[in-house]
Amino acid sequence: MSKRSEAYLSGVPMERYDMIREGLIVLSVVTLVIVLLAAFFGTPDYPTVTAKEVATKQPLLFLDRSLSYFSGQSGLQTYGPPYTKDDQNAQAVFGFISPARWVGVVSPVNAQQDLAMKPLERIAVLNPEVATALAAYKQASPDQQQNWIKNYAVALKKATDDNGKVILAQGDYGPVAGLMNGMLKLARAGLLERALDSSALLPYDLNNTKSLLFLEGPIENRVAQHLNELGSQWGMTNEMGPYPGAWWLWPYAFLYQLPGIVNSPNADLITGLIMAAAFFILIFLPVIPGLNRIPYLIPVYRLIWRDWYRRSKD
Amino acid sequence: MNIDEKLQGWLKSHLTLEDVLPTQMPVYVNSMAYFFGTMTLSALMVVIGSGIIIAIFGPGWWHVSPTGHFFNSVHFWGVEVFYFGLVLHLLAKFFKAAWRDGRWRTWVIGLVTFAVTIFSGITGTLLQQNWDAQWNAVQGKDPMNALGLAWINAMDPGQLLTLHVALLPFLIVLFAAIHIGIVRSESPVRPIERSRKEEVR
Repeated sequence: MSKRSEAYLSGVPMERYDMIREGLIVLSVVTLVIVLLAAFFGTPDYPTVTAKEVATKQPLLFLDRSLSYFSGQSGLQTYGPPYTKDDQNAQAVFGFISPARWVGVVSPVNAQQDLAMKPLERIAVLNPEVATALAAYKQASPDQQQNWIKNYAVALKKATDDNGKVILAQGDYGPVAGLMNGMLKLARAGLLERALDSSALLPYDLNNTKSLLFLEGPIENRVAQHLNELGSQWGMTNEMGPYPGAWWLWPYAFLYQLPGIVNSPNADLITGLIMAAAFFILIFLPVIPGLNRIPYLIPVYRLIWRDWYRRSKD
Repeated sequence: MNIDEKLQGWLKSHLTLEDVLPTQMPVYVNSMAYFFGTMTLSALMVVIGSGIIIAIFGPGWWHVSPTGHFFNSVHFWGVEVFYFGLVLHLLAKFFKAAWRDGRWRTWVIGLVTFAVTIFSGITGTLLQQNWDAQWNAVQGKDPMNALGLAWINAMDPGQLLTLHVALLPFLIVLFAAIHIGIVRSESPVRPIERSRKEEVR
């Protein structure tokens, strides 16, 4: 026994013990319980939402998302670090505590270029109609481009979906309708994700940032709401279906239920800082007056060591 | 200076064979509260074991093979049992004020290990290659970005995979080993004495 233990346990009665034996018994029982849980309940495995699926089943939603990137009006265009340089939308507390600004752009994404123009340029290689439309669009003045986009956006709100066929009212959309139709076709062919994620590292690209960003927002929110996984539904702590998720993150998810936090544009930073503070309070709890007395005030220890106290009394 | 000699001396005074493989234990170590740590460690072993098997066949294996799905389920439920044990262990140690008598290092390293496991759990969720991974990636990116952790990209499975199967398990095992090593070296904290309790009141 170490010198410290010898001194510490001086005068304390000892009992025979076999740590390995006890450990093996507990390991066997725990393994059995886990194996039984795995065998009976399995694991949730709801498939991913793909651009092909959305473009086929919800073409209007898909076109709306594509247009937001194409027009440069998506929230991602002005997200700030780590995607874009303009940092006015970066989350901050007290104006100056803004770790996102401190870290800067580490994963650059130009939504208009990366999520719309680049895929369109790929389609243009295969599809002469899209190539012609793209050339016409690029040659037009910025005002003309915005006018076409505006007309198309208004029409899209009133458009109907006839078994996958998008019915759009007649209007002055210039080449925009053809370009959006090209995005729809690329997605329906199942090629959009690869077109978005391809980089100089092909065929070894392991980064899915752009394709995952493309479908975020209204499209995925609908699915998440259906599966009870929105932030307001305790989001990340839930797995889909009747499975326990990351319930140990409940304190974190709870903060997102507080109106004062969830309605703030800096909700993620506020929540993260509160959790970091809570962690440091836990770390320093042994020396925090008041908090370090709680075990004495709520004497659960009497129950834990009841045999010892009974023995001492005797 | 002979390093081996120094190390031998340190081990003889800080972590003897009797500490590593104890044949006797103080009589006050006699409660279910002492079971939770062993339960947590056992679940961790199951998680690591099933994780190694999944790692051999690759992250996509469980989607195409019933055997792979079973081992993924073992991994999943192992994590659930791990946290069940860990939270009970933490609560038991809190209510024992187990940081007493100079045991604050054990408390701190235990909490740090807890924190690392949370990141390991998150990276695991993001590697499932299903809807939950997809949703958590786009949801999780915002807090990560806001907290200045954007250099860990929730949408880059290549980076997440190396973190999840190499760095984070290494840190968890290392910290858990230090945690247990200190407990064994210092022996389990003595019960709170009644006189101390009365003094507090």
